[in-house]
Amino acid sequence: MLRLIDINRRLGDFALTDINLEVSDGQYYVLLGRSGAGKTQLLELIAGLEHPDTGKILLDNEDITRQRIQDRKVGIVFQDFAVFPHMTVFGNIAYPLRVRKENKNSITEKVEKAAIAMNIRHILDRNTEKLSGGEMQRVALARTLITSPRLLLLDEPLSSLDTSLKDDLKRVLRSLNKAGQTIIHVTHDYGDAISLAKRVGVIHNGKIIQEGSVSEVFKNPVNRFVARYAGIRNFFRINISHEDGSLFGVTEHKNRFKLNNKNTEKDSLLLVRSDSVFIGNEMPWDTELNSFKGKITEIIPSEFGLEVTVDAGDLFYVNIQLSEIERLGITEGKDVWVSFSPKDIVVINGN
Amino acid sequence: MILSSLVLLFIIAPLAGMFLHMDGARFLETIKDKEVHQSIWLTLWVSFTATLIFSVGAIPFAWLLARKKFPAKNFVQGIIDLPIVLPHTAAGIALLGFISRDGFLGKTASLFGLNLVNHPSGIALAMAFVSLPFLINAARDGFAAVPERLEKAALNLGASHTKVFFTISFPLALRSITTGFVMMFARGMSEFGAVVIIAYHPMVAPVLIYERFSSYGLNYARPASVFFILIALFFLIALRLLSLKRKEKYINSDAQTD
Repeated sequence: MLRLIDINRRLGDFALTDINLEVSDGQYYVLLGRSGAGKTQLLELIAGLEHPDTGKILLDNEDITRQRIQDRKVGIVFQDFAVFPHMTVFGNIAYPLRVRKENKNSITEKVEKAAIAMNIRHILDRNTEKLSGGEMQRVALARTLITSPRLLLLDEPLSSLDTSLKDDLKRVLRSLNKAGQTIIHVTHDYGDAISLAKRVGVIHNGKIIQEGSVSEVFKNPVNRFVARYAGIRNFFRINISHEDGSLFGVTEHKNRFKLNNKNTEKDSLLLVRSDSVFIGNEMPWDTELNSFKGKITEIIPSEFGLEVTVDAGDLFYVNIQLSEIERLGITEGKDVWVSFSPKDIVVINGN
Repeated sequence: MILSSLVLLFIIAPLAGMFLHMDGARFLETIKDKEVHQSIWLTLWVSFTATLIFSVGAIPFAWLLARKKFPAKNFVQGIIDLPIVLPHTAAGIALLGFISRDGFLGKTASLFGLNLVNHPSGIALAMAFVSLPFLINAARDGFAAVPERLEKAALNLGASHTKVFFTISFPLALRSITTGFVMMFARGMSEFGAVVIIAYHPMVAPVLIYERFSSYGLNYARPASVFFILIALFFLIALRLLSLKRKEKYINSDAQTD
């Protein structure tokens, strides 16, 4: 288990302040924050690349605050991968073993195994210069994992990948975590957090402002920042049902959502961003959309204009512009339709 | 454009003139001259050895300059550049005081029965004194261009600081270091002012050329000059080619060190 106790670290104008954090073994912890929030700095402290001004870092109850980087067994994969340009893919992955003076046969064997696991065996002999971003990342990941780190730190691992590679990597990360690897993953993308995390911490201006399970954090944002950051106010616990080859999620209030996500488990949590929900006076003609009729219960000002609450059995939160309010003649108590596309739905399995 | 050509011409013309004005028969004579052979050979190996020995300390020092913050760093940097701006005879005088029998280094050396003055080791020191900045500065720039991330990643993967230096920093900065090495070697080889004060004998090539000129005149100094220039060029080109070969091997590091 990793514990950060009262960590403070000043870096010029910026400071990490009173960071307290616990990450238990086997956890998938996502640290969510905007760029400049202090995510990378925090990872570097944990890895030992930087030292805190005050506070303690404990790993399995051992104080590692001042321990040398090379003795910590905390693996970090940098955002830019830091793949060594003067070595082949094999050389990169073998590097941690070579500096530990392992014998040649065991190195070859382990590198092969790691490469197969990361699906990069075919590029082992290649120079790193012509690798794609996805390949570089797998090299960096294999190179770190070969050291069997007690803790795997990932700095924005998904940010430079296109969508299909993202899904591949998410699968890899999920299965690593399932195999017992403790992971701390920092990102600015709430979507990553939702799809991977068991626990989420939100970091803002060098402080962790909220922490908890994914649904706790997104459903009960501790303040406006988290709410706005998450951009998600629509949470529904659903049961999955298959009808005529299509997939539906049914809420406890019997609202039925069309889903297009293939691999969902029985009991899931469904999220829709407030920005993705539209409001109208008529039922939308597009039958592909999820549409529900409800009554407006509240209209409050928000960062984006106004936030309208619609009670359609379940509560829907919709962000809308002031001009739209006038155009649609929206007032409290009015009956309206809310609608959103199945592709804007995020489903979290078994949470 | 015209101005640039004039500047270029200014460099080429005297050298070309020297080649054109040279008496062929006298050149052949010079090539066979044993004294000239010995002198050129001495120049080459002393400069090379000086560069090699000093790089053992200079390269890690360059890494420190590139990576670490320490008090009075700018001052230290200024001291390193000092030999470039000093008149080289003045540098020679300063060094002579240091390595003569009364000087600190001279005393220490004479304990081992070694007289540094008029000795190749003294020449090596004189060469190194004036040429060391070229190696340190080039190597420092090379190290500075290696992304610190890579060093941090290597540490994170379990390498010690020494290992990181030899497996990451050094190979990635190698091209700049080689350039610095060649520059230091070349600068040491061509040094006259500091060397002539430490050791008139044994005669390095620049001193020999000077001696021929002052004893026999321009026509005798010219063939020796041309011969030395040709030999020096040969070694410089050879070293350059060697470093180009390395470049192919470390093709990526170039992107960072260039």
